[in-house]
Amino acid sequence: MTESQLIRRAGDGDAAAVRALYERYSPRVFAVVRRIAGDDELAKDYAQEAWIRAIRALPTFRGDARFSTWLHRIAVNAALQANRKADTRKKREAPMPEAVPVAPRSSDSLLARRLEAALDRLPEGMRRILTLHDVEGYTHEEIGEMLGINSGTSKSQLSKARAKMREMLRGLENPAQDQGAEAWSI
Amino acid sequence: MEHLTTDALARLVDEVPSPEESGHLEACEVCAAELDALREQTDQLGALPAMRPPQGDWEALEARLLAEGLIHSDSVIPFGRSRRRWGTAIQAAAALVLFVGGAALGTQFRGGEPGAIEGGPLAGPASLVDTPTSDVALATLEDAAEDVRQKEQDYIEAMIRYRQLLEASGRGGTQGQDPASRYAALEAVMAASQAAVREAPADPFLNGILASVSAERQAFVRSLSETGRDNWY
Repeated sequence: MTESQLIRRAGDGDAAAVRALYERYSPRVFAVVRRIAGDDELAKDYAQEAWIRAIRALPTFRGDARFSTWLHRIAVNAALQANRKADTRKKREAPMPEAVPVAPRSSDSLLARRLEAALDRLPEGMRRILTLHDVEGYTHEEIGEMLGINSGTSKSQLSKARAKMREMLRGLENPAQDQGAEAWSI
Repeated sequence: MEHLTTDALARLVDEVPSPEESGHLEACEVCAAELDALREQTDQLGALPAMRPPQGDWEALEARLLAEGLIHSDSVIPFGRSRRRWGTAIQAAAALVLFVGGAALGTQFRGGEPGAIEGGPLAGPASLVDTPTSDVALATLEDAAEDVRQKEQDYIEAMIRYRQLLEASGRGGTQGQDPASRYAALEAVMAASQAAVREAPADPFLNGILASVSAERQAFVRSLSETGRDNWY
């Protein structure tokens, strides 16, 4: 079955087709919302919201972009909007992600966990920019559009986020050097 | 010598340095090394893997999709709701046998013509587990789990194809309207479940699957006998 057939059936309310799309794309959707959320519980809600929006919008999908790109953008927007609405912020203490990384080789697993832990500890604004640019590959123009900022601001915040990430990774390697993330905000 | 700030170095990950910055980087090993580390960090972030959603994620989504009328309840695939509850290597290995069976069952229908379902016999238990995918070497538990996930997806897509073929053959979308194929499918899933339980006799999850399939087959046979349709095979 082609992807377009699967999408059409899912848009018609076929649960099995929706499930097949979910099985295929849920790891990528969950990854991006998890990294924007910085928290497992929030990420579950954001991911569910993203899927609901996507399934609801399926009949409007015309195939101008790849389905994965279209879905990814919906997931990012759902997570960013939900994130803006959240009025309380949990203090982040470098929790290990509950979710299981998909198919990392054992030699890469520790590095990936360290990066995820450092991402979790970044202030929210920095985490969003770093995730969207360095992890997900969006341009500064696209990020500016998503976040309602200009591309120059996105660039300068990215530099700060990278620098802070570097500092935090050094801190994870040597806790004595960790200056703490909470003092930072953008 | 005054070093470049980390912010400035972070900017240089994907921007061209000014002549002054370039000169400094040539002369200062510390800043050059820090820039290399920042570039490596950026590469590593770009290579972060996707993440498997937590257990129960699909079930919660499915319930909400049903509640909002975005999917039809009669199209929900059976036996899928608790597949994510495996937690051990033996469960993953045993479940692999089950889903290889499922994939093989799907292969019977994939690419075939609608008419082929009626006359084409389904594979027996031996051929269900004897597929090329069973020869794949799985080095780690993560590989095995990913392989099971892929088989599960193949199985789901095969079941969709099966339903399409039923619809195309004019028998509607419900499996109950095609007793012969329905019974054959149940038999095949039963055989795959038995094979999985033979691999892990004490596994409660797989035994639960086997019990469910067995109960469904009995209920199906009973419903046929009650309606007097005893010549369907």
